[in-house]
Amino acid sequence: MQQKKMAAPCGRMASRPLLQFLSRFSSSPVGNTGFRQFSSATVCRAAFQINEAAERANSPWTLVAAVYLQRLPVISADCSPIEQQFKQMLHQIELEKSVLSDHELRLLEDAERMSRKQADDYDSDEEDSHGDQEIMMAQDLEDIWEQKMKSFQPAPRVRADVDKDLTSAERCLADSLVLLAEQEVGDEKLWLLPQTRWQEGETLRQTAERALTSLPAGFKATFLGNAPCGVYKYKLPKAIRTENSIGTKVFFFKAILADGAPPKTKKAPFLWVKKSELQKYLKPAYMMKVERFILDL
Amino acid sequence: MNPVFRKVQASVAQQALLLNKALTPCRAAPSIRHPVWCTHSVNERQYKGMPTHGIGRWKYLLPKQAPRKKKDKQQMKQIMSATDTAYGTLNVNVSGYDMTVVEHYSQYIHNFCNRLGIKVADSYALPTKSTEVMLMQEQGTKTYVDAVLKTHHRVIQLSTLNAALCPVFMDVLLKNQPEGVQLSVTEHTEADFQARFKARPELEGLIAQMNQ
Repeated sequence: MQQKKMAAPCGRMASRPLLQFLSRFSSSPVGNTGFRQFSSATVCRAAFQINEAAERANSPWTLVAAVYLQRLPVISADCSPIEQQFKQMLHQIELEKSVLSDHELRLLEDAERMSRKQADDYDSDEEDSHGDQEIMMAQDLEDIWEQKMKSFQPAPRVRADVDKDLTSAERCLADSLVLLAEQEVGDEKLWLLPQTRWQEGETLRQTAERALTSLPAGFKATFLGNAPCGVYKYKLPKAIRTENSIGTKVFFFKAILADGAPPKTKKAPFLWVKKSELQKYLKPAYMMKVERFILDL
Repeated sequence: MNPVFRKVQASVAQQALLLNKALTPCRAAPSIRHPVWCTHSVNERQYKGMPTHGIGRWKYLLPKQAPRKKKDKQQMKQIMSATDTAYGTLNVNVSGYDMTVVEHYSQYIHNFCNRLGIKVADSYALPTKSTEVMLMQEQGTKTYVDAVLKTHHRVIQLSTLNAALCPVFMDVLLKNQPEGVQLSVTEHTEADFQARFKARPELEGLIAQMNQ
């Protein structure tokens, strides 16, 4: 039987599962109550923070929240040679064990009827009346389907030119990509995950959301929870260290890019990188802490 | 002389004892010297007194199971509510057109939860919904049935989910989501539970009559 693959990797179609997930997350009222519950919990925590602000102000660490924005893979990864062989073998076994389907039975019946019609001693009165089936034979149906399949052009899975463009969010559809921004830290410009300083009276997650919205290109993202997924501590060099500032602590929050790639602005200091390419851009100490929570599945 | 005689007599007595013991199972009449064998007669079975009596019994070792009533109304499991650090009862709903992919993905989620130690309260399937795709005929205005698509749903109910574990869990689920499968995570409500049951119009009619 012909297998029409459901997973034809058309550019728009494959992003449907993500859209659906996010639409359920955002538009269904039940999902919203989930969100509302979280925010109320964080409001309680904010109240606590205001009370403890006096104690907090004495802490010598500056708090910074960063957002780990990722674009999920759009198509499934290619199988390795062993996986391909195994897949073929399983397919073969299934085919040999399977029973004929309705369509195939109809094909056989029609072929048999044709051969009986063409025989010399054919008596049409003996035949049962299959009105519809004589007009549209099963073979004709199959031919029509073949035609439709040939006229369908799936989008190419891998596009070499887009893959090399590091600023495009459409590169490497089979892997998950991380957003890197070039920001000024102290005196130098560094490539790191977008971050901003924490202010009094807001939760760390709100700081991370602010970090995301402060980027010039408007990315829409869904945050995956209130708890941070990683921490990076940075002590200032001894020359600059004072009593009030020993260093900074950076908290990372996970977020998923919502669909709808924003219009590409030239000279925007963003990069979409795979985990394997991160090493070229990040500092080693920073990289060590960051790669612990980046899942490379 | 006497000790010798006594010894001889003792040995003879011993031999008689041995002979008697050997012969008793065959003999019908009980002997006076061996009161143990007095209790049985030909018609009684002898195995209850055997040392190996009841050696094959094992059902008394099983834990006591309450006898199952056949018509047990489906009780709803307790819906946990959210606390400060954990979410309450969540429903992970997986749906799609391809049944093998949907089922495999739901099995993957279940195994993943077992591995992470997340308690899975329930794992069930909702009824399949059939969608008929009708296309317009090229010549006329009538539509004809082109294809029938079946949407399959699988639900995995988690009793609690730690808030710190949530981002990691969701990340892994989203990264492994196959093409053509929709994933949605919602809170479990009683309405969701009641929606699984079939409506019984006669019963509802009778209840309405009673209340009136």
